[in-house]
Amino acid sequence: MSSAANPIPAQFPPNKLLFDGYDPGAFYDEMIAPNGEPRPYAAPMYEKLANMPLEVFEERRKLADLSYLVQGITFTVYSDGKGTERLFPFDLVPRIIPRSEWDVVERGLAQRVTALNLYLRDIYGPQRILKDRIIPQHLVYSCKHFRREMVGLQVPRDIYVHVAGIDLVRDSRTGQYLVLEDNARSPSGISYVLENRIVMRRTFPRAFELSEVQSVDHYPAELVKILRSLSPRSGDRPVIVLLTPGLYNSAYFEHCFLAQEMGIELVEGRDLVVVDNVVYMKTIYGLTRVDVIYRRVDDDFLDPLAFRAGSLVGVPGLMNAYRAGNIALANAVGTGVADDKAIYAYVPAFIRYYMGEDPILQNVETYLCSNPDQLSYVLEHLPELVVKAVGESGGYGMLMGPSSDKKTIEEFRERLIADPRNYIAQPVIPISRVPSYDPAIGGMSARHVDLRPYCLYDGEKVTIVPGGLTRVALQKGSLVVNSSQGGGSKDTWVLRGEE
Amino acid sequence: MMLSRIADSLFWIGRYMERADNTARILDVNYHMLLEQPPDTYKLRWDPLIAVTGERARFYKTHEEASAQTAFEFLGFSEENPNSISQCIVQARENARTIRDRISRELWEDINGLYHKILRLKDEGEDLSRFCDAVKRGGHRFHGVCDATLARDEGWHFVQAGCVLERAEMTARILDVHYHQLLEGPQLLSEARSHLWMAVLKSVAAYEFYKRQNTLIEPTRVAQLLLLDPRHPRSVRFNLGILQTSLHAISGSMPGTYANEAERLTGKIHERLTYDSIEEIFADGLHNYLTELQEMCRNIGEEITRTYLNYAVAQG
Repeated sequence: MSSAANPIPAQFPPNKLLFDGYDPGAFYDEMIAPNGEPRPYAAPMYEKLANMPLEVFEERRKLADLSYLVQGITFTVYSDGKGTERLFPFDLVPRIIPRSEWDVVERGLAQRVTALNLYLRDIYGPQRILKDRIIPQHLVYSCKHFRREMVGLQVPRDIYVHVAGIDLVRDSRTGQYLVLEDNARSPSGISYVLENRIVMRRTFPRAFELSEVQSVDHYPAELVKILRSLSPRSGDRPVIVLLTPGLYNSAYFEHCFLAQEMGIELVEGRDLVVVDNVVYMKTIYGLTRVDVIYRRVDDDFLDPLAFRAGSLVGVPGLMNAYRAGNIALANAVGTGVADDKAIYAYVPAFIRYYMGEDPILQNVETYLCSNPDQLSYVLEHLPELVVKAVGESGGYGMLMGPSSDKKTIEEFRERLIADPRNYIAQPVIPISRVPSYDPAIGGMSARHVDLRPYCLYDGEKVTIVPGGLTRVALQKGSLVVNSSQGGGSKDTWVLRGEE
Repeated sequence: MMLSRIADSLFWIGRYMERADNTARILDVNYHMLLEQPPDTYKLRWDPLIAVTGERARFYKTHEEASAQTAFEFLGFSEENPNSISQCIVQARENARTIRDRISRELWEDINGLYHKILRLKDEGEDLSRFCDAVKRGGHRFHGVCDATLARDEGWHFVQAGCVLERAEMTARILDVHYHQLLEGPQLLSEARSHLWMAVLKSVAAYEFYKRQNTLIEPTRVAQLLLLDPRHPRSVRFNLGILQTSLHAISGSMPGTYANEAERLTGKIHERLTYDSIEEIFADGLHNYLTELQEMCRNIGEEITRTYLNYAVAQG
């Protein structure tokens, strides 16, 4: 490993500073106030960067990249049936959130995750919400991820969503955080939060001291505490495993990382076997009983006997063991009926219905294409809207109206007409931006970001590690932050003190 | 407690790393030795090398003739040859990546680093000598990092088992192929013969050790060292001794007893290597002895798999 700084490309003037010519533009900038001054809480980090010579910054950036490569922190992109490993680009400028702002976000998320759990318990139980006609019955039953098998099944401690990743954006017009979507199945990305923090601490140790950043390192400990509480057997050493689809899954690094941090076994479907409705893992000394599975395998592939028959990554007989109460699963099966993008529109109603409270965090205005009036509005305004398939995630099956050509828009029009239940549409939100390093200009440019905090629910309260994954659209002007679409990530700092 | 799949990966990390290392050694030594040989012996010496790796049939499907260039390409970095050096390292790294939560961070970073380095050298068209050098250094570092960072639990013993079983089999095979060649190939001058035996010794890093005890290069003494010497880390006996220790550590059975077929076979073959004399072995025919040895190594590998890594479960 060489620590020598690479020479700076000759086209940049010798004394160029990172923020020379920086333009926060017409969007909310998370670091710079409209008057051009840094926001007070972000000032220490801003000063640090603004005075840093370009070659010093470049050197630190290269060291950070190298540390990701050496550790093999990569994700896999599939094309032509061949997987290619890529680094998830990391930007060294953090997104900084003051304590007072975070407090609101935290309360809002806790409220939302609690409501999602109450809804799931109701849907797979008494179904009061359908009888009271708060949400149309057909909308729930037509969800791709609604699992009939779960109706009447008693899940351990009544928890369905143990881990949720709620995607937030900040609307530049109001400065308010909005919920963009809920991820209640198996949200990924937390390992980047933890690794980004390690890299940032190494890269800017002094800035951490000055800014008083809240720690995120306790996430694995919080999660394993919840997993342990789910064990169907008594005794204080339940056997907990993380079930992964395997090496070729794009989040495999994360699965390894979490298993290691939690001190639990990382298993694949072929490591597990169900005998007499009890789950065992195959060890070199024979079978060992398993109590709790933190599964990162989708419902469809979990048990080839119950769901998709051809699945090789699942465990035959697992659903029977689940039904018999011999194994706990986190998240529960069937939670996709809570994060369907059409159901999303009703989450504020769930909060009012189950909790008698007003939602703290608002939704983005959403048109349900299953509703004929809303569909005709959507079809008239396609070039202005974002269209999303309801059961997809990761930026797949999505139309960005304003940046799409006519042909793509017309293709989506046909799809919408053919299968309206499968789509929702939203207005394009002018989401906030954070200064991000652009190697092409050797300085900072404003780039759009979202935020995915990770929420843990233990049946009574919601715990959220301060911050979460800030994803950044590194392409100029782009609003799409998904890693499969050229996005990167940033460390997220929630500050300890007052503003 | 250790998952069978994890043990399997550890075992194969050991085997693949050792296979890459051995292949680099024989390739490198052969290349250097031939620089000083008359051209007519030249051709003869690349074919046995391909044979050592057990990939002769595959080689002649796509190549007319074994030369320094084709052998290097095929054994060094061909993607068609699953036992080429770069494919072994790819496999070792895939296994390590699968179980990275179960090995030290240092070990993962080391194997991953070697992988990136080999790919780079391949892309840059690095010459044989430097390529092999990088692989051998990588092999040494691998053992060093294992030794310095892995806990001495079952996992360690599976890595060990993979390494020593591979090395024992490889040494037997190197000896077998070269001996065969010298005996049945066209007659070479005695000077050339002794060059070839020196190359064999060098390829298993045993030349200096041999010279300390013998002034002349004699086939029986070379075979004695490579088969029966209890002190040299590349002799078959030495490696099967370690295998025996590791298998006992895994099962917990007492020395002198056995808990499974892998242990019984290892004990049996180790016993023979301890008490057979090189004269007896030559009297009965070295080739037969080596063939049997290689077959035993394969059986031991299969028994380890059947006992620990992939066993049948009765479903109720």
